[in-house]
Amino acid sequence: MPTAVQIAERAGYSVRSIFERFPDLNALRVAATDYSLAQALALAPPRGADGDRQTRLRSQVTTRAHTCERGIALWRVLLQFADQDETGALKQRVARGRETTIVRMELMYRAELSTLPEQERRQLLIALEALTDMESWARMREQHGLSFDEACEVWIHAIDRLLPPTPVAVPASAAA
Amino acid sequence: MTDAVQSGDGGAPARGEGRDARVDGRRLRSERTRRLIIEAYIALVRETGHMPTAAQIAERAGYSVRSIFERFPDLTALRVAVTDYAIAEARANAALRDLDADRLTRIKSQVNQRGSGCERWLPLWRVLSADLSGAPDLQQRIGMIRQLIVMRMEMMFRPELSLVSDAVRKKIMLALEALLDFESWARMRELYGLSFEEACAVWVKAIDRLLPQTPA
Repeated sequence: MPTAVQIAERAGYSVRSIFERFPDLNALRVAATDYSLAQALALAPPRGADGDRQTRLRSQVTTRAHTCERGIALWRVLLQFADQDETGALKQRVARGRETTIVRMELMYRAELSTLPEQERRQLLIALEALTDMESWARMREQHGLSFDEACEVWIHAIDRLLPPTPVAVPASAAA
Repeated sequence: MTDAVQSGDGGAPARGEGRDARVDGRRLRSERTRRLIIEAYIALVRETGHMPTAAQIAERAGYSVRSIFERFPDLTALRVAVTDYAIAEARANAALRDLDADRLTRIKSQVNQRGSGCERWLPLWRVLSADLSGAPDLQQRIGMIRQLIVMRMEMMFRPELSLVSDAVRKKIMLALEALLDFESWARMRELYGLSFEEACAVWVKAIDRLLPQTPA
């Protein structure tokens, strides 16, 4: 977490300028988090949501992996300060970040998830969220020394095993 | 005189024996103090979820702050000692069970043990692994804990893992490690509000899907 002096120097303003706009550093952390969450969404639109299973797996994993690569440092700071933040604003952002990941997986794996009863679907989404957590990515890259592509393969393989079979599409003519 | 009478067998203690006993007594007291300091640290972390200060540890253990720093050069050294203590206790209380049982029994046994471990050790895990910069001994211990968790899963799911190539096994183990992480458990309990049994059910189902078929 940078100090107010470091932030002011990097931004090219005075420390006073910072505190004219943010009452304290926690408010600045919250604003930085909102900015990053919005940026992450903008940089990672859902792609290939209508593709076949393998296409969707690759697309979701690659997108998530890029988000992890870009966001891990800020995410760690966010988690570090979330518990100390008495306003609860940071914890709320952490929860929102996780919910966004889950919503994305619901979208990408809608076909497979639709075959499961509600409770089982929720259980699977929780497991998928744990698997594709930022720290899960960081461990593969930092501790196990996997390349970006190797780490993606681990996630693709695991998600493919976790998801139920893809339902066979019924041709429109047959349905009619 | 008194020594000869007290010994009762007519023999005086050999030179140095009394001194050895005194040294042993001092060593035992010192060991006890060390243990009480470590246990005070763990109790405070469980109660507050935060890293305790030297003053808090000393007060809880019933010693002076000076006593702490006579036994540990700094608080990082104390964190390392706490980690070693926790690893030893966790290993003692986590015997491998149901190793030869059927697939579902082994999965449930592993999940139940891991879930209980997370419940017991999560606050300490968070404090110990929070800031590892400049603490290579602690980094090494944290790595060791992760290794022990992985090794345990490899033993519990040996039949299933024996069927796949090294590359696939590695992928499965990395996925299992992520799935059964402390913070994964914490999110199920704290963020998603699952009960212990509900959280276990999530892991059981996911592991069952991740593992290859059990050989006949």
